[in-house]
Amino acid sequence: MIQIDSTEIKKQKKLALTWAITFLILFPVLITLGLLMRLRQGEITETGPSEFFSYMTLHGLGMAGILFTFAFAALWYLNSTRYVRLNLKFGWFLYFLILIGVVGLLYGTLIGKFGPGWYMLYPLPFKGTFWPAWATKVSVISLIILGVAWLLGILHMIYALAKQYGGLTNLLGWQYLGKKENITEIPSVVLITTISLIPGVFALIIGAAMLIMYLLQSFEPSLAFDPLMMKNMVMFFGHTLVNITMYCAVGWVYALLPEFTHREWKVNKAVVYSWNASFFFILFAYLHHLYMDFVQPTSLQYLGQVVSYSSAIPATGITMFGVIAQVYHAKMKWSIIPLMFLFGMAGWAIGGFAAVVDSTIALNSSLHNTLWVPAHFHTYMLMGVVLFIFGFLFYLFSGKDKEEKDGLGKAGFWIFVLGSYGFLLMFYLGGLNSVPRRYSNYSGLEIDHVRETGAHLAQCAALFVGVLLVGLILMYLSLFCKLIQQKVSTKESNS
Amino acid sequence: MSNFTMLLSLQKIAGLLSLAGALLIVAVVIFLLKSATISEDKTTAKEKVYKLRSRYIWSIIIVAVVLLAYSFRSLPYSLMKAKADTEVSVVAYQWGWKMEKGIYNGKLDDFKGSNEIELPVNKSIKFIVTSIDVNHNFAIYNSDGVLVAQTQAMPQHKNNLQYRFKEKGEYKIFCLEYCGTAHDFMVGTIHIN
Ligand code: HEM
Ligand SMILES: [Cu+2]
Repeated sequence: MIQIDSTEIKKQKKLALTWAITFLILFPVLITLGLLMRLRQGEITETGPSEFFSYMTLHGLGMAGILFTFAFAALWYLNSTRYVRLNLKFGWFLYFLILIGVVGLLYGTLIGKFGPGWYMLYPLPFKGTFWPAWATKVSVISLIILGVAWLLGILHMIYALAKQYGGLTNLLGWQYLGKKENITEIPSVVLITTISLIPGVFALIIGAAMLIMYLLQSFEPSLAFDPLMMKNMVMFFGHTLVNITMYCAVGWVYALLPEFTHREWKVNKAVVYSWNASFFFILFAYLHHLYMDFVQPTSLQYLGQVVSYSSAIPATGITMFGVIAQVYHAKMKWSIIPLMFLFGMAGWAIGGFAAVVDSTIALNSSLHNTLWVPAHFHTYMLMGVVLFIFGFLFYLFSGKDKEEKDGLGKAGFWIFVLGSYGFLLMFYLGGLNSVPRRYSNYSGLEIDHVRETGAHLAQCAALFVGVLLVGLILMYLSLFCKLIQQKVSTKESNS
Repeated sequence: MSNFTMLLSLQKIAGLLSLAGALLIVAVVIFLLKSATISEDKTTAKEKVYKLRSRYIWSIIIVAVVLLAYSFRSLPYSLMKAKADTEVSVVAYQWGWKMEKGIYNGKLDDFKGSNEIELPVNKSIKFIVTSIDVNHNFAIYNSDGVLVAQTQAMPQHKNNLQYRFKEKGEYKIFCLEYCGTAHDFMVGTIHIN
């Protein structure tokens, strides 16, 4: 194991704090777009369709983007301050590259009104659009910039880790499976970083290929690609990226939770088997997005359901039971960080359960593209990944004592959780009442029951978003205080 | 699934299953919040959890296999090629539906259909669905507002959806794949008599 000196740690921390603050600025902006959508769907405002759909596109791409980016940045920080040297300058370079991509995307969607939805199903960006062709070009180029930045970052991290731990197979933990003694041990974050990010490499390569095809078509409109192939590509790209965001976040829970339970959480055979299985499942789960495309080869449809069901086994059996083994009778304090990790696991499990229900082909016929879909993925993003991220942020922002009393933060946490589940419940009820997703308003639904239910649920959801925002503000205040304290105490120790 | 769906809509089955799952998870969280503050020797505590874990893993594997086998019994794909009593060709466009009885193999530009159609009750109907421009989704709602069947409408491809209307009355078609400005106003009507 290498020693990383304290000036390097300080510098890496500065980078991590910059990522964190950027995240904290963008996140509420994107939530506001979500609120605006719910207000329009509830007939409280009268946003026009082109505004609504460009907000929707920016909200979806933006949220998926900042969550993945932050998850990546958090793993970069943990790995670079504990296990391996990562190039700091390169880290800053990635930061600015991603910033360029974000600005381009904001420009394309807010000014250009680019609005084909976050997975921009081919050939929607080129046919009957309400936005100009330049907006498509700017947005696609911005996405390519983001993709390239992520790809470079991932490759740098995996390369550095592989060099440190003696090759890729060691990173995958295969040395644990043989009978040899004296193997190179790896920390669990390293294993999870690898397993999460390698599928990301595949996803980004396919995604880049797809975006380049889009770019070609935007310059040469006579081109035509097979929509079924394009749908497979975009779902592989999008699903995989969102999926590994969750796994990356689980990575730092493995690393940080033991500091509060005072029990080790090490890599062993079961963990290796489980994560290698997940690696395989991550790559094929996307198939469940094409169930209602009956022309897709039927064997792939079956595979989609089998893989979606199977992915629940390592996730619950190893990771969630791992959490139980961590906290059960551990005589620990429920300070805000472990609390966020525990609730994050619960959000992942609840959203995951609803996802497994939806990944049942027989049930998908009645849930596909209803509000059930945003219901389940918002559950594990908002009540899973976002809570893991806030747990990490509280860890990063607090000083030496990570378990200090934090009434403000905790009050914020409970209000945030309450508001979020209320907001999510309205999505679930919408799905169960067959309310379609991605409708700017429900007045065109010529069946009274669906139209009225849709609008009422949206109104209640908007109210709960208000609650969630109050909680969020309290958590921000608490984080802000911690940051100030940290600045003061480092100044004191320096002087 | 069919015998269950007589009693409960698929949406209700999904809702009840998920509710049960969520309640179970909440119960585990409450249990953990309480039990974590108690102290016990590390190894004995872990051993208890691991014992439970191996039972859990075996049971979830068995449950998954059973559910997979059960839920694979009736899927829409087997009816892609099967014969039906009546065929209806459907072409989606930005932003509306064209429907006409019979199998249409001509150019889509020349397809003349209407957004309303009359069909017989209790007959198997095969909808041959495609799109002339972007992706749409052909979703059938009954008069109570329950989504009863759907398939994607993808340009250059044909998805065959079979459905038997069991009640007379008016069914609505809505678009369930985001397709641009008026995606939320793409309505069609099926009269069953
Ligand atoms: C925190 C408060 C949030 C609110 C109020 C909110 C609200 C919304 C709303 C109203 C929609 C449109 C639903 C529809 O009718 O189809 C939506 C879609 C979406 N949201 Fe959120 N959301 C929130 C958080 C998140 C988070 C944390 C993510 C993380 C990935 C996320 C990702 C998405 C995506 C990917 C879509 C789909 C966009 C599309 O269909 O193109 N949202 N959200
Ligand atoms: Cu449509």
